[in-house]
Amino acid sequence: MSELRTPTILAAAGALLIAASFATAWAVSGATSDTLAAPESFASITDEAARSAAIFTELGKVLTSPRCLNCHPSGDRPTQGDEMRPHQPPVFRGADGMGLDTMRCTICHQKANYDPGRIPGHDPWFLAPFEMGWQGKTLAEICAQVKDPERNGGRSFADLVHHIGDDTLVGWAWSPGYGRTPAPGTQKEAKALVQAWVDTGAGCPE
Amino acid sequence: MTSLSLTINGNPVGPIEVRDELSMNDFLREILNMTGTKFGCGAAQCLSCAVIVDNPDGSSHTNPTCVVPAVNFNGKAIRTVEGHAKDGVLTPLQRAFIEHFAFQCGYCTAGFLNEGQVLLERLASAPIPREALEKTILEALDGHLCRCTGYVRYHDAVRDVILADPGRYLT
Amino acid sequence: MPLSRREFVAWTGASGIALGLSRLALAEEPEFIARETLPGPLGLNPGIVGKGRIDGVAKVTGAKLYVSDFRAKDLPGWPADTSHALLVRSPDASHIYEGLDLDRLTADARPSAVVAAEDLVRAGTRVPAFYSGDLLCPAGSTPLYLGQPVALLIFATFDAYDRARVQFRDGSLIRFGAETGPLTRPNYGAWRFTRIAGATPDSPDVYAPIQEGWISPGFSDGGGRPIWRPLPVAEGGQYAKGATYGEEIRKELAANNPELLVVAGDFETQSIDPMFLEPECGLAWYDGGNRSLELILGVQSPYEAAEAVEYLLGEAAAEVKPDRINAQFAYVGGGFGGKDHTPFPLYVALAGLFFPDRPVRLAHDRYQQFQGGIKRHAFKMKTQIGVDRASGKIVAFAADHVLDGGGLANYSPSVAVVGATAALGIYDAPKVDVTTVALHSRAVTAGSMRGYGTLQTMTALEVLIDEAAMALPLDPIEFRRRNLLKTGGKSMTGTPFTVSVRTPELLDKLEQHAIWRDRVVEKSRVTAGTLVGTGVACVIKDYGTGADCSLGRIEVAADGSISVWADAVEMGNGIGTAIANRVALQLGGVGHTVAVAQIGMFDELGLVTSGDPYTMTQEAQDEAAKNPRWVPAISSATSASIGAHVGTQAVAQAAGIVFRFGLWPAALELWGIPKGDPRVYLWEEAYWQGDELIMSGLPPLPLSKVAAKAHEQKGVTGAMGHAFSRWAWSQASFPIGGFDWEIDLDALAVRYGGGPFQSLDRTSVAFPPTDYNRIGTAFVSGCGTAVRVEIEAATGAVRVAKAYSVVECGQALSTELVSGQAQGGFAMAVGQTLHEDLPLYEDGPGNGQWNLGDYVIPRASDLPIHDLEIEVLPPISPKEGPKGIAEVVMIPAVPALLNAIHDATGHRFNRLPVTPDMIRGVLS
Repeated sequence: MSELRTPTILAAAGALLIAASFATAWAVSGATSDTLAAPESFASITDEAARSAAIFTELGKVLTSPRCLNCHPSGDRPTQGDEMRPHQPPVFRGADGMGLDTMRCTICHQKANYDPGRIPGHDPWFLAPFEMGWQGKTLAEICAQVKDPERNGGRSFADLVHHIGDDTLVGWAWSPGYGRTPAPGTQKEAKALVQAWVDTGAGCPE
Repeated sequence: MTSLSLTINGNPVGPIEVRDELSMNDFLREILNMTGTKFGCGAAQCLSCAVIVDNPDGSSHTNPTCVVPAVNFNGKAIRTVEGHAKDGVLTPLQRAFIEHFAFQCGYCTAGFLNEGQVLLERLASAPIPREALEKTILEALDGHLCRCTGYVRYHDAVRDVILADPGRYLT
Repeated sequence: MPLSRREFVAWTGASGIALGLSRLALAEEPEFIARETLPGPLGLNPGIVGKGRIDGVAKVTGAKLYVSDFRAKDLPGWPADTSHALLVRSPDASHIYEGLDLDRLTADARPSAVVAAEDLVRAGTRVPAFYSGDLLCPAGSTPLYLGQPVALLIFATFDAYDRARVQFRDGSLIRFGAETGPLTRPNYGAWRFTRIAGATPDSPDVYAPIQEGWISPGFSDGGGRPIWRPLPVAEGGQYAKGATYGEEIRKELAANNPELLVVAGDFETQSIDPMFLEPECGLAWYDGGNRSLELILGVQSPYEAAEAVEYLLGEAAAEVKPDRINAQFAYVGGGFGGKDHTPFPLYVALAGLFFPDRPVRLAHDRYQQFQGGIKRHAFKMKTQIGVDRASGKIVAFAADHVLDGGGLANYSPSVAVVGATAALGIYDAPKVDVTTVALHSRAVTAGSMRGYGTLQTMTALEVLIDEAAMALPLDPIEFRRRNLLKTGGKSMTGTPFTVSVRTPELLDKLEQHAIWRDRVVEKSRVTAGTLVGTGVACVIKDYGTGADCSLGRIEVAADGSISVWADAVEMGNGIGTAIANRVALQLGGVGHTVAVAQIGMFDELGLVTSGDPYTMTQEAQDEAAKNPRWVPAISSATSASIGAHVGTQAVAQAAGIVFRFGLWPAALELWGIPKGDPRVYLWEEAYWQGDELIMSGLPPLPLSKVAAKAHEQKGVTGAMGHAFSRWAWSQASFPIGGFDWEIDLDALAVRYGGGPFQSLDRTSVAFPPTDYNRIGTAFVSGCGTAVRVEIEAATGAVRVAKAYSVVECGQALSTELVSGQAQGGFAMAVGQTLHEDLPLYEDGPGNGQWNLGDYVIPRASDLPIHDLEIEVLPPISPKEGPKGIAEVVMIPAVPALLNAIHDATGHRFNRLPVTPDMIRGVLS
């Protein structure tokens, strides 16, 4: 569905950030906003650090997609929809990232998307931990965060490749159900990018 | 089609063959004609459609029915607004809602009743200090939308039921 | 099925269709009317002890009550199975609609019947003038507005309907062709209200709408906007004369007079959805064998809905024209104006007619309700206030209002007028000039909603008043006090209000309240990163429409139980409970069972009507009034805050008759008071304590004993009546008990003992004069609000910390209901001020994609639920009747919040809602 509603400033700011980040990658890869360029398309960048940063910037199209950001909030309340408005009803991460006792994520978000009700689902369904909050951050900040085991859930680079490339909750972002724009490209393409990023030294954009 | 059996207000229902896409709300309202459970938004945002799910471990929670397929309730035990009063005797919370003029149009009442009842039961098994009461009630009921009342009397009603029996609900 | 006259009340209009509004025959299922009569003969009635609403038990036990609860199998005599209809609405109003791609529906989602515009043409249906515009957009035309229906699809099974609903939701099955841009239409109405007061308070006005008639400009530009210059018009009042006075006021305000402070401001209010929790719904069954159309509806305006359906089908082709229409009405799950005069019942009726012999349910889901439901008008306003600097008195006031009426006229002209005539709020000004125009647009149709134009205009006013006070400078409450319209003073139209005006007391209460008193101290107690502000506002709001009706019927059984029927609709307002309580004032017992939304229980009155009560001439009224069955209008919508004042009127008057001519004579006999004893005439001195009748010096009598005696004596044990108000009640005399008895009813029927009702011919009648139609309003109630906000500077988030509303409502029939309305009104005001917003056009609800995630209404956590104080002033005299307050309680909270935000931030926001981003924007 194309986005028709007035975006919140939050979303607008996010869009601005994404657009600025994309500019670099597009210039090189020629990929559009809903596709992902292959790692090879960055081969023309001879400087490896710059190439790595460009690859991360391309991967950033996924990381900053509403599908990822909505559940990587910087506070305790997730956002929802392509416009990333505050989640209604108000829900909060709770002790285990799966909601408060009075409203657990999984009472609505069940094992699979339920399209007649336009509601996404997956088993399990939970918020990224607080320290993995990405909302409101630049891609450079997210990149630094993703590399930092203190702020990436204690993941090694191999874990990161696996998380982004194989995790089925992450994979939900590419089949999010009616009314939500999927993350760009495919999970496989994203995995290739994150692998290439790691292989090129995990450089971050400025 | 999937065969669905569940317990509603203590009574076994099913097995009934239902379409996999059928929502629990439509199952209750269109198939069983149990219309005490309302349809408000169809998007889990107003919670007028919430019912109580009784878990095997003895705990309970409310669950919106509009965004969950009926088949996901297979084997579960639920309670609806129709099941609170027993033999025509209203529960303390039902009486409190009436005495506080808690609702106006009443369309959101089933959801508030279910949520309030779950809270009472939760506090009965895990009492809280008096000073945490208002916040606890707010946290429990805040998912429910009401357009008529400004919520004041719903919250007062739940609070007064608890304060009327402090030994049970409060530490 | 055999129906007694009582059970099937019908009348035949010009269409030749018998229109009935009634109960159905008994079968295994409880009758619909039995479900809708509360609390029911055996039910617990919390209303009896003042401990709840009469519908309390039904609502906490999930009883079938609302129209959306009913299916065919719940209705005795109906076929068992329910079919389902889908009203397909256009998300586009700029391209040519070309039709539906039904072939792309999956095979298991195909409709059994498809109704398109050409089918309506073939059937010969008519559109009632109020809903003028195509009910279904014809293929080949551009939809008139976003959300306009294009087709009605009917599915034999729920499953097929449910699948199709999902397949239709993205709009891709609706085909559009060439871009035309949106359609333009003339404006819905434009008026100018100009008043120049006389030189002294006692001298007549130089110019006033009440004297000269309401005026409209005769010319408009290509875009439908009126030309306000004083150009002469051919008919409809002396526009040029009024406009010339108006232009003089404008010149005075523009004259740069150093002695005059002129504050001017633009203000915009947004489109709002009433967001009642029960989406619109209805059931229809066209019983082809009996040629009878059965309808179950849930609206605020039952009589109008039935008449609209009758008109729709009045000249239809023989094969689809029913011989009779039987409409029944359910409890309403919230209305707020949005279920008053909605076109929805027309589509319900069509769904039934085009799928004969099969009950069909048409129900909006929330996306569809946003797409098609009536909205609050967005206003754009310019307001100017001229204040004499020396005295602090307002000397001139001018305002210009532009309303976006959306796709159909609906109530737009009326909302424009009511908003304009309220633009001066609680104040008096000797020179006033207000223009207003309601424009057509491609937006979703706007109509009635709580506040009805006045919320918009009085919000603009009350923030500008605050600005003027600060500019003078004067204390905001003192400035208001100096300029109050006093009791007996003339409103903008040139007439005094005919009820108490208690704004001085309201201002005193606000001034004395801790929220206001402590505002400076609290502001200085600012913690880092938080801004604190306090605001106040006070308004009066009209209640009533100038043609309000009330139908009521009461029966006292020999055992003292009381049954009541009324045409007023229960939408949460507590009208059933208010009626029961008003009965208790007269009869000692509350209504034990109350049935509301009844328009078929008054057949014995034999009422007839003709003409339009708003526009008829005095001569026409006088002529028509010669028929003792004629009344200016029969039944009106439950809206305009008329519940307490109007909704209870007929029942209360009827109860008075039962007391005076049934229970009182019975009590006299029980007390052994003979004829000729002077105490026979002291009936007004008796009163009820609980259900015991007390008369000084005599033993108390229980109602049950008095009722039994009244039945034995064949006294009056039941009465039904009709009341009409055009800013005053109709009064008539009826021959009863040997008297020519005058009451505030214009039709009356009574029963003696257990006998049938008999209509009484009125011996004289005084309908309110037709020129009262120029008054605008004569009934007002008042409300003031003080509020404190705390604003988090970093995020711009506004926390409403404390609030106090003081309301005057005459005799409160139930203080719990009044304060409940005030609490709910405050919550809705917070939504209007801080949260709710609907884009008008392509991005707005007409696109069919809106729900409560995007449209955020207040939750408990957004409100000061433990710091919201409501004070209801006692009536000014025991004789003061009830006044309507359901709207006024919402209004002052909006400008009070805005004034508080200004106090906190130093910035005046002139557009609603005020979002955190807007606040952050001015703070950074």
